[in-house]
Amino acid sequence: MDQLPNLGREHEMLSVMGLNSIEELFSNIPEGVRRKKPLPLPAPQSEEEIWRDAQHLLGSNIDLDSRPSFLSAGLSRNFVPTMVGMLATRGEFLTSYTPYQAEVSQGMLQAMWEFQTMISELVNLPISNVSMYDASTSAAEALTCAIRVHNKKAIQKDTIYVSELVPPHRMSVIENYVQGSGINLQMLKHDENGHLDINAASIAHGSCAVYVEQPNSFGILDEGLMKLKEKIGENTALIVGVDAVSLGLVTPPGDWGADIVVGEGQPFGIGPTFGGPIYGIFACNEKYIRQMPGRIVGQTHDTNEKKAFTLTLSTREQHIRRHRATSNICSNETLIALMGAMHMSLLGPDGITVLAKRVAASTEATKKALTSIEGVELLYPNSSNFREFVIKIPGNTEKAVSFMDSEGVIAGFPLGLWWESHSSCILIGCDERTSPSDISSLVSVVKKWIKEVIN
Amino acid sequence: MSDIFSFNGARNAGWSQPEPILSDPEVLGTIPSSMLRASPPAWPRASEPELVRHYTWLSRRNFGIDTGFYPLGSCTMKHNPRVNERIVNLPGIDRMHPLQPEHQIQGILSIFYEMQEMLAICSGMDQVTLQPVAGAQGEFTAMRCIQEFHRERGEGHRNKVIVPDSAHGTNPASASMCGYEIIEIPSGEDGRIDLDALQSVVGDDTAAMMITNPSTLGVFEPDIASASEIVHSAGGQMYYDGANFNAIIGKTDPGLMGFDAVHYNLHKTFSQPHGGGGPGSGPIGVKKHLSKYLPSPLASRRKIIESDPEGVGDGYWYSWISPENTIGKVQQWHGNAGAVVRCWAFYRRYGRELERMSEHAVLNANYLRFKIMNPEKDVLSKIHAMPTDGAPTDFVMHEFTLSMIGMKDKVGVTGKDIAKRLLDYGVMAPTLYFPMIVPECLMIEPTETESKEVLDKFAADFLNVLSEDPELIKGAPYTTDVSRVDEVWAARNLILRHPGNNSDVN
Repeated sequence: MDQLPNLGREHEMLSVMGLNSIEELFSNIPEGVRRKKPLPLPAPQSEEEIWRDAQHLLGSNIDLDSRPSFLSAGLSRNFVPTMVGMLATRGEFLTSYTPYQAEVSQGMLQAMWEFQTMISELVNLPISNVSMYDASTSAAEALTCAIRVHNKKAIQKDTIYVSELVPPHRMSVIENYVQGSGINLQMLKHDENGHLDINAASIAHGSCAVYVEQPNSFGILDEGLMKLKEKIGENTALIVGVDAVSLGLVTPPGDWGADIVVGEGQPFGIGPTFGGPIYGIFACNEKYIRQMPGRIVGQTHDTNEKKAFTLTLSTREQHIRRHRATSNICSNETLIALMGAMHMSLLGPDGITVLAKRVAASTEATKKALTSIEGVELLYPNSSNFREFVIKIPGNTEKAVSFMDSEGVIAGFPLGLWWESHSSCILIGCDERTSPSDISSLVSVVKKWIKEVIN
Repeated sequence: MSDIFSFNGARNAGWSQPEPILSDPEVLGTIPSSMLRASPPAWPRASEPELVRHYTWLSRRNFGIDTGFYPLGSCTMKHNPRVNERIVNLPGIDRMHPLQPEHQIQGILSIFYEMQEMLAICSGMDQVTLQPVAGAQGEFTAMRCIQEFHRERGEGHRNKVIVPDSAHGTNPASASMCGYEIIEIPSGEDGRIDLDALQSVVGDDTAAMMITNPSTLGVFEPDIASASEIVHSAGGQMYYDGANFNAIIGKTDPGLMGFDAVHYNLHKTFSQPHGGGGPGSGPIGVKKHLSKYLPSPLASRRKIIESDPEGVGDGYWYSWISPENTIGKVQQWHGNAGAVVRCWAFYRRYGRELERMSEHAVLNANYLRFKIMNPEKDVLSKIHAMPTDGAPTDFVMHEFTLSMIGMKDKVGVTGKDIAKRLLDYGVMAPTLYFPMIVPECLMIEPTETESKEVLDKFAADFLNVLSEDPELIKGAPYTTDVSRVDEVWAARNLILRHPGNNSDVN
């Protein structure tokens, strides 16, 4: 209630209009649809009471930083530089909206243009938009974008191929986004090493698009993907979902023929935040520019020939093109992308390399430590991994993770919850903050569990 | 200008991090050599001191609600209470993973549950999901649920969605993404639904009608119940675009109007700072017959039993449940949880008095409209041409539209010119050229958080612009960081990234 500056001044304002009560302003609402009773909700609270309740409720959650944690599955338990939160919450950024009026929005426009540049550099493709909702909607809209571009010339009309290892929640988003247009969604198979069956992938030749992930949902870096573009041909879009941090070490998909690169931007800019708000990366080459979703900033000049920035290519968008728009996206995740830009610019070329090495080092160290335990096996012993890998352990893995949880360690994600076929597997996620002491805590609870099962 | 790519402060001393826990050869040995990146991305090489100044400089070249009045119609640019930002920095939200087991997330689940319940109560719906992350995604999600509803009843042939010509562009775009064909119906002369036009397009191919009420003209549709009846009797579903829900809370609700599904723009109706374009949050609510199709999972609760671990202390145990015939996921996780928490804090500030928020939004809009449309005689005598109401109605709801066609006809000044000139008065311009059915349209939404003085000043400034030299208005703005920007040049030349002037950028 303390957010209403005109509280108590209603009659002063009404009398200017020659009115007596606020109810008169609502007189166009017919009696038949009127709400008769007050809202059955609690009494208003002060800031102090709200803060107290928030502290109590959110304080009863157990956060990832409070104990060793190996839960990743697409999000990063990152460290966000202090500068990011402080600058992104400056009111001029925080409380602005879509920069329709470029003349008073140069700050956000320039920041987004710089963001586009950094994403373009990261994935090595010339064009980036200013963000999608998350990695999954980026992937889904990349597929529908590719269909619009390629369907005319496609031999396999309305057909797209997606790696069978795309995690189920992302697959579900993709299915929701493509089902309406009568798209034929096919799966690409993997071999016993967790690599894409690259020869079998030729089946996608002449379709509209192929979507694969590097690393895949088991954290496997698949060298074979670098030859995928030649298998599927020029007229089929190669869409690659990436772990953005990995590109500090790993060759960007733009180097090996990817047409569109998507991924989760969250590791740059914001904590895991219970899954949102986060932001999706979307970058592509020139072929897709007029069919891509989302907002784009371009450089231009003002009437005095002074350099300036503005939203551009708006004719693709829903507020102009309506049902023929390339996407329905309106509100996006610009503020989180701004936080990402701040984080990326602070890292710089050297910082991103070190960050990627830290994640790779944690992954390798954790993998080595766990495989030294008798009874623990790697599902794919011969794979290269970044951030994540899969172990098999004795006993029911859901119970195992729950047991280790009761011992104070968040020990990863029981993969049976995603795929029944993997019910003896746990997805272990590492990050730049994984310490040797975290790893020894994990090792000791895994040993304890195995002992428990064997007895 | 400040160019982030020209800084040199981190050439030698960048932002420091702990060392990797393995040596370089051990790390690099884990990745096949053909996959190693040849050179790092050519990102800026800037130090923290340089960057803090750069982003501060950028922020000063940006206009937010905190800078000044922001009457951007339809976008509901209200004040964002600062405690909300403090709350989302708590580790109990910032450092949480959506796949954590239920016993670790009781607090956040209880907030989700409270929000689902509150939104259902305010909108007259039976079940709410918080998963969609923006209004447009809420529309898409609801249309998917409606699509599955028809399919399961053997009515998958229903392939048309009706939208009024005054609808937000996202409505037709979202329905179209589901594969629906769009039927646009013209508004009546008073800007309201034309029931005859609606009756003439419904049929056994009607899947749904999408409509916002109050309409984009800021006018409540008195015939809404009849419209619902027409669509329902043809077997279609009624979808409520909640973009303007902030006008009616406590006064009426979409359930009473006969709607089957609704999305809420939490960031607008409640508050989540809009951050230059997002994030938003677009939960949807549905009536019982649609609830089994909602995205998964939903927050649920039961009375606590003895064997339960400690909960949040309210006597309930919270958990996730999956609707029976769920459409699955529209966002990867549980939606924009951070936005949900901010909006929870905002809602708690009003509680059962949420109605006051709507009252003040409507009071402010009507007051401002009155002040603009009823100038003093001496002011009126100087004005080239008065605006005309986008909709001829006694009262508007939370926003109103003005046609500047008079100014265009008389002195050649467009709505855009006026919008640009307003920037010189230290305010944000209203929404321009929407809805498209109003010529030279300016759409003005003051929100409930502006004082009478701000509204008085805006009305006076607005009327003053209408009396200025037309050539002056056409050349505006003059006091902004850049003068009028050449959008056509931008679209023709498409310079979408920095060319790079680091020595290591190609």
